[in-house]
Amino acid sequence: MNSRKTLIIFAGGGLAIYALFFASSYDQRLLTLSGVYVILVLGYQFIFGHAGALSLAQGAFFGVGAYTSGILGSLHGVEFLLTFPLSIAVAAAIAALVSIPVLRLQTHYFALATLALSQLLLLIAVNWEPVTGGANGLSGVPPVTLLGWQLSRGLPLLSFVWIIAGLAMLISYWQINAARKAAFTVMRETPLATAAFGIDSSILRFQAFILSAAFGGAAGALFVHTNRVVSPETLGFGVMITCLTMTVVGGRFGILGAVIGALLLTHLPEWFRDLQEYYLVAVGALLLVTVVFAPNGIEGLMPMGRPTQKLSTKPATDKTVEDVAKRGSELIATNVSKRYGGVQALNSVSLRIQPGEIVGVIGPNGAGKTTLANILTGSASSDAGSVTLAGRDITRAPAHQIARQGLTRTFQTPQLPENLSVRDIIETAQSEFSTANTDEILRQFNLLTFADMPCGTIAHGIRRRVEVCRAVAARPGTLVLDEPGAGLSPEEQNEIGALCKALAGAGLAILLIDHNVEFLRPFATRIVCMKSGRIIADGSPEETLANPDVRDAYFGVTTL
Amino acid sequence: MLAVQLLLNALSLGAAYALVALGFVLVLNATTAVNFAHGESVVAGGFAAVLLATLLPTDIGIPGLILLPGILVITAALGLAIGALAYLPIRNRPPVSVFVTTIAVGMIVANGLNATFGAAPRTAPPLIGVGTIDMIGVSISRQSIAIIVTACVLIGGLAIVLQRTQLGRQFRACAQDPEMARAVGIRLTRITLLSFALGTAFAGAAGLLLAHQFFISPADGAPLILKAYIAVVIGGWGSLRGAAIGAFLIAAFEVGVAAISSQPLAEGLLYGIVLLVLFVRPQGLFGEPQQVRA
Repeated sequence: MNSRKTLIIFAGGGLAIYALFFASSYDQRLLTLSGVYVILVLGYQFIFGHAGALSLAQGAFFGVGAYTSGILGSLHGVEFLLTFPLSIAVAAAIAALVSIPVLRLQTHYFALATLALSQLLLLIAVNWEPVTGGANGLSGVPPVTLLGWQLSRGLPLLSFVWIIAGLAMLISYWQINAARKAAFTVMRETPLATAAFGIDSSILRFQAFILSAAFGGAAGALFVHTNRVVSPETLGFGVMITCLTMTVVGGRFGILGAVIGALLLTHLPEWFRDLQEYYLVAVGALLLVTVVFAPNGIEGLMPMGRPTQKLSTKPATDKTVEDVAKRGSELIATNVSKRYGGVQALNSVSLRIQPGEIVGVIGPNGAGKTTLANILTGSASSDAGSVTLAGRDITRAPAHQIARQGLTRTFQTPQLPENLSVRDIIETAQSEFSTANTDEILRQFNLLTFADMPCGTIAHGIRRRVEVCRAVAARPGTLVLDEPGAGLSPEEQNEIGALCKALAGAGLAILLIDHNVEFLRPFATRIVCMKSGRIIADGSPEETLANPDVRDAYFGVTTL
Repeated sequence: MLAVQLLLNALSLGAAYALVALGFVLVLNATTAVNFAHGESVVAGGFAAVLLATLLPTDIGIPGLILLPGILVITAALGLAIGALAYLPIRNRPPVSVFVTTIAVGMIVANGLNATFGAAPRTAPPLIGVGTIDMIGVSISRQSIAIIVTACVLIGGLAIVLQRTQLGRQFRACAQDPEMARAVGIRLTRITLLSFALGTAFAGAAGLLLAHQFFISPADGAPLILKAYIAVVIGGWGSLRGAAIGAFLIAAFEVGVAAISSQPLAEGLLYGIVLLVLFVRPQGLFGEPQQVRA
């Protein structure tokens, strides 16, 4: 057991003893409220922390839960056992409804849309008086009753709220396992690479959004039973800001962060009592200072428990790269065209890469090489033409599905989240349909020594190798490598070349884009030269390099 | 008759919204970050007007317009503070960070005002006086005319600065390509801070213009930032002209719908429509889809 765990157990135990024996009824009320906010913040961590999207609707989901329970409870006398799940369901249903337009939106548009949603709900709450009680809200919300047993304020309600909070922690813990966490990190920090390795970011974002709404609804429901009143304030921007502050100050990612943030921010008014009304100014300052000086919150400042070393104890096998990657599939592009504004980036390009082949693509800047790679891998869509992989049409398939069908890629600029370890990165690329053992493949790529280092700390040449390793770890049949040799020393380039040769020997089809002819020449089966969106030569390295058009386009030398 | 009244109302509201939206875009272009404290900057301008007005003798009816320079200075200083505290220290972090820090500043401003002045709506003095003037048989509110004229002068001044001066050229250069601008010797930090000062001063001026007729309360920031935002989405992300047009469209919509039904319905419909528009065109109405280079 490490010191972090010991600390948590002692702090939690201390808190429980305080709540049971020493807390006044007012203190107990604050602790109850903290439990409610723990649930709200745990939910917000899904969308704001893990998915990295600034939702401004978390307060609104809280309010929806509060109003659902409040209206059903006070006006219709419905039991808690029914209103509680209904509150969660209504919040989740609203999230699902708006997720169709909202979740596709990027950064600021997402924030705008979720803010518009909250303002819309607030307007409804204030103006739909017969149902919501208007600006005054509804009083007389009944206490929590479980099968006829009424939970009074104080310890019974406090314990109940924290039991629900404990359940929320379990759900959060179960939802954000190590693999999920890494997938979210890849999505958040390197969106380009997400789909290319079979991660469906729209599903991840959807799940995060629905979970955040469900947790928000649950917190809101518990809140009205604590307060016994529901008012437009529960829907207001104030709740949203409180939730945001708790999450930022406590920590965006962990259960511990949620608990710290919720406990701290509910007790802060007590400690800042001298400030009176200016207390919220102090909270704003706290939020500002935390973002600037402790971007990962208080949880990020605490000593980390050492990441568990997963280095396998199995004796090293004599598997080779060839054994790790096995399937080979043919990639065919037929008459592919793509236009960006006034630029014809690709003009009826046809290309065929067979298993066991390494096809090098050269061409001056702007020739359309990366556009071709993007279209083949589904990162961009073509205007015309078709692409097939192992005989199956993938022209319109989304990138993550193409990746799952066995076509993976690397990027011109390595797309590696700085804080994920090399091992985590490799594991995100593996899914249930690729069983390559991580240690094995790391060993093949001479990366075992770097396995537990964060990608932000390793050298450029090694990052390139990690990228290729990740692409291979997905067990592809076809590889598209976009300038894997750029910025590498000749020795490092030779290593990449040897790797490609071994992979092709194992039956992979490889498309390799690079400027450097000397790098490609020794191991490419064919070299294709592109210029202004067209293929102007396609043949053996010698044939292509001897082609006068290629010499003209590529070297700028006119043959005599 | 009524139509002219409504048109004038829409124009004056649109003129004030245009100031808010233009200030928002100025900061957006300089930083590519969204300044969420912008709504509270409008509120701050309104309260600066309320506060400064108490310094004026009340009996001789001095026009509120003479408060404008003072409000511009106060809110420009607020803008500098936002830029220096909430943007510069984290300029290399993901855009969401700036979102959160500016929300924090907005919170400080709103709650500071709330603690000092209370939550009740306040009103600022009229710009040049109350009442109406009769023109070609239509009675026109003096305040509406004053708002339109004041906003036009400020927007015209901005246009001249941006189009005709070296400083304006630097602003535009930084907006288009900050790295390149820096490479040719433009002091990016200075331009960034100036953008915050100017953008926030525009918001402050809008506060003065809005705070007489519509009152101002500390919690008004959220709907104001939303409207600036919506104006920018309608007009195309980063376009100054588009933002102004968007602001007038929003005002016309609000005034028009409110005339046949109610203000809350007008606002609610506006937000609903925004969600619909984003559903059809996730990149905004006239915005270009952004390409990330692989």
